[in-house]
Amino acid sequence: MTVGTVHSAAYDDVSYTRGGVVDRADVGALVRSAVDGDAAAWKALVEGLSPLVWSVVRAHRLGDADAHEVYQTVWFRFAQNLGRIREPEKAGSWLASTARHESLKVLKSLRRLTVTSDPQLLDRVSEERTPEQSVLDSEEAAAESERIRWMWQEFEELGDRCRQLLRVLMASPPPSYQEVSAALGIAVGSIGPLRQRCLRRLRARLDARGAR
Amino acid sequence: MTDDMPEGQEPFGEDEFDGGPLEAELRQAAAILDPVPAQLREIAVAAFALHDLDARIAGLTFDSVVDAIPVRGAEDVPRMLTFSAGEVTVDVEVTAQGLMGQVLPPRPARIEVLGGPQTAVTVDADAMGRFSSDAPLTGPFALRLRTGAEVVVTEWTRA
Repeated sequence: MTVGTVHSAAYDDVSYTRGGVVDRADVGALVRSAVDGDAAAWKALVEGLSPLVWSVVRAHRLGDADAHEVYQTVWFRFAQNLGRIREPEKAGSWLASTARHESLKVLKSLRRLTVTSDPQLLDRVSEERTPEQSVLDSEEAAAESERIRWMWQEFEELGDRCRQLLRVLMASPPPSYQEVSAALGIAVGSIGPLRQRCLRRLRARLDARGAR
Repeated sequence: MTDDMPEGQEPFGEDEFDGGPLEAELRQAAAILDPVPAQLREIAVAAFALHDLDARIAGLTFDSVVDAIPVRGAEDVPRMLTFSAGEVTVDVEVTAQGLMGQVLPPRPARIEVLGGPQTAVTVDADAMGRFSSDAPLTGPFALRLRTGAEVVVTEWTRA
């Protein structure tokens, strides 16, 4: 228990100060500016927190159509509630929690009909290429590309709990433990030890694959 | 929701493994293989237009997906939703053709069916508060009601 607490506290310090599109410490100020009508502040919130919302949705294994709808619902609701959010500095947790809630609702309605189809991530061709994707275009990067795909495959093969946790943690900029807790409904204190365990498992899978 | 590997077979000791670099690699992989779709990001930016400080928000208080007991063998059951703000209640039934509903207590109202920052269809509720729209809902929606001097907006919900 003590170990877990120390872990998460340390990690939070890191993730709040680590560079990213939006420094998490600025979130409260950006929300307040957006409430006052500052569209640039809103845009900065979207840029900084979109990957978190998307990661939460994907962590729940929603396919493209459902993922798109949940993502939009979350942002529309955030815009709608903008002036009413009680703790603006916790907007990331608000978004993560709303994304979780809406994702679970989709899963519940799907379970009544049929089994969810997994998103076909590896076969998907994105129309717009991010800088990271462009790196993969060069031939010298073929090996790097292969390595990333391997890693992604092994990640997808992890048990539900680890896959879910890691999918949320890999949002960029890195989410705080409060946000991860809101995203997955798990206690802040258990995230550090669970993260360590899951990353260790993934490392072992990758090493085993390299040795084959 | 558990992972297969038993406790005793952990491949590394607790202390010697630093997961940071691997997590960073995963973050890079996610940015390449599963990024936020660009068109979604743009929709979220445009959603700023939806902030509405003057309206009262009617929260979702009943959703048949969550709250109703499924009827055995029943297929294609209509989605029933109820939104409430104080004494105002809006009952909505979503169908493949669009939606119908009723404002309670009964009253006439002008209702905008919002489908996102750029889409709105306007319909009128009759004296009994009943309204319908035959524009099929394709994603999240909200209803913006004007009744007398008051404006009530329902919480954004997936149809």
